[in-house]
Amino acid sequence: MLSSQRSLLNVLLPALVCVLALASLGVGAVHLPIPTVVDALFGGATEAQRAIVQEIRLPRTLLAATIGAMHGLSGAALQGLLRNPLAAPSLFGAPQAAAFGAVLAIATGLGDALSFALPLSAILMAFLSAFVLVAIVGRESNLLLLILAGLALSSLAGAATALALNLAASPFAALEISFWLLGSLDDRSFRHVLLAWPFMACGAFLLFARRDAFRVLSLGEEAAQSLGVNVSALRLHVILGVALGVGASVAVSGTIGFIGLVVPHLMRPLVGHDPGRLLAPSAFAGAALLLAADIAVRLIPSTSSIKVGVLTSLIGVPFFLYLVFRERRKLEAAA
Amino acid sequence: MIFRTLAVAALLVGAAQAAPLRIASINMCADQLLQTLADPEQIAGLGPYSRDASLSWLAEDAKKYPRLTGEAEDIIALKPDLVLAGKYGKKATRDLLEDQKIKVVDFDVPRSIDEVKAQVRRVGDIVGHPERASALNEKIDVAAARARTKAAQGHPKILAVSRRGWIAGTNNLLSSLLATAGLANAAGELGLKTGGFVSLETIIAAKPDLILVAEAAPSAEDQGKALLLHPALDRNYPPERRIVIPEQLTICGGPMLPAALDRLSEAMSGTGR
Repeated sequence: MLSSQRSLLNVLLPALVCVLALASLGVGAVHLPIPTVVDALFGGATEAQRAIVQEIRLPRTLLAATIGAMHGLSGAALQGLLRNPLAAPSLFGAPQAAAFGAVLAIATGLGDALSFALPLSAILMAFLSAFVLVAIVGRESNLLLLILAGLALSSLAGAATALALNLAASPFAALEISFWLLGSLDDRSFRHVLLAWPFMACGAFLLFARRDAFRVLSLGEEAAQSLGVNVSALRLHVILGVALGVGASVAVSGTIGFIGLVVPHLMRPLVGHDPGRLLAPSAFAGAALLLAADIAVRLIPSTSSIKVGVLTSLIGVPFFLYLVFRERRKLEAAA
Repeated sequence: MIFRTLAVAALLVGAAQAAPLRIASINMCADQLLQTLADPEQIAGLGPYSRDASLSWLAEDAKKYPRLTGEAEDIIALKPDLVLAGKYGKKATRDLLEDQKIKVVDFDVPRSIDEVKAQVRRVGDIVGHPERASALNEKIDVAAARARTKAAQGHPKILAVSRRGWIAGTNNLLSSLLATAGLANAAGELGLKTGGFVSLETIIAAKPDLILVAEAAPSAEDQGKALLLHPALDRNYPPERRIVIPEQLTICGGPMLPAALDRLSEAMSGTGR
């Protein structure tokens, strides 16, 4: 039963991503009928319509799909590594740290917003924060410790970002702070795609490469060790993969939270509790969720555009509260 | 003290002769009017952005005067007879100054060349040099007349695009300058009277004939400015369809207006029209 459900999922999820990607090409500030969009995508229509579809909406759609996939994948991998349902990049500050890295790269003049210094610096900071978190939490996988350490790390990274922008001479710093902390995909170009994709591909590869180890790890660290899994190496592997993916995403979109938390939970009842099998569906579901959210921000009528990171947080935080509620007993036992 | 009180009182009834001795400004636009119209010894201090060459046309000259933070503390320590401030500055600062019996004169953001000229006259009266104000206004009129004779034919549409896709509205000074040079601000078609953020698609779809930007080669110092380097904008608006006017010429109204108008006419002749 479960296996047929899984193969259905493997067809349905990619199909859903494709449909949403097409929808994402079809919505925007300028109303274009679907045939025109398709026409413009393949080189027809007017010059302005081609520019809108090919150069503005297409990179945005590609970024939404891949960034969402990366967040979903990272969440699933971290939950597998830490064997903890509350583990997600956005809860322990990896995106915030990556945002700080990106801002730092600009503030110190290492590079501008379109240079490779930006994702590299973001990845480095994301790696540091994930490394520190895993070092603090250690082998215990203690829920309370994880949440407290995560809170501290994300607050620190947020404060550091605000400080870097605060000290920046530009009178527009306040606006840019909001950008980094809210997360948005407005008006991105293929330069941003080029900036992020190589790193995201490496990160995704690293995480997928270890999917069998997650499966073994779910038996417990000692059992995994005895089955020949080098747990410390796995840990480093996963942190690096998450840092590459999340760091590169944040460098182009700012912090988009909670997709990594929500998606694995939605997928788990459908694929069962095998963390190795959770990875691919989580990636697809993450892509679908962020695409849907990014379509929604363009459809919701408002005087100024809603940032997609705000919407994912609005969905994600109540979900997080629900998880905390469910885990209440464990938390009480830990305290 | 009595003299000062009298001076301020005299000012209130508009008697230009008894101009206050020391005037401070905490608004970038008022800074430049003060620098142009007052005697150097009348200027007690200028605002925080007065020395920023990217914003102020008279940044170099501003180095001669104390630079204020724009907060109440250093103004109170300075004890000027009068403070020029922007109408939309911080109310808390103004309240503190008024508590200290320091008179604050407000300046609204000018929305047309005529409003600028009115402000020039007003500052001229405050500093007691109405003749300098008339001379400046005359220069502005001459430059405007010059721009009109060279005005573009057929009212090409133009959009003034800034970081993050901010579009200058129709109801502002820049729009008035554009109209003088024979250009139609396309922001009106987008329903942007006071300006606003629009997405890049909207800009491309509005198909203005020209765009006005502040820099010929902007750097992507943050994502907001990276928008100005978007390939879609680059391809549709190559240099010959861009008019480049630095911000220091268009943010404020005052001594920079003749240069702004000349620059506009000059730039238009470079667009192949």
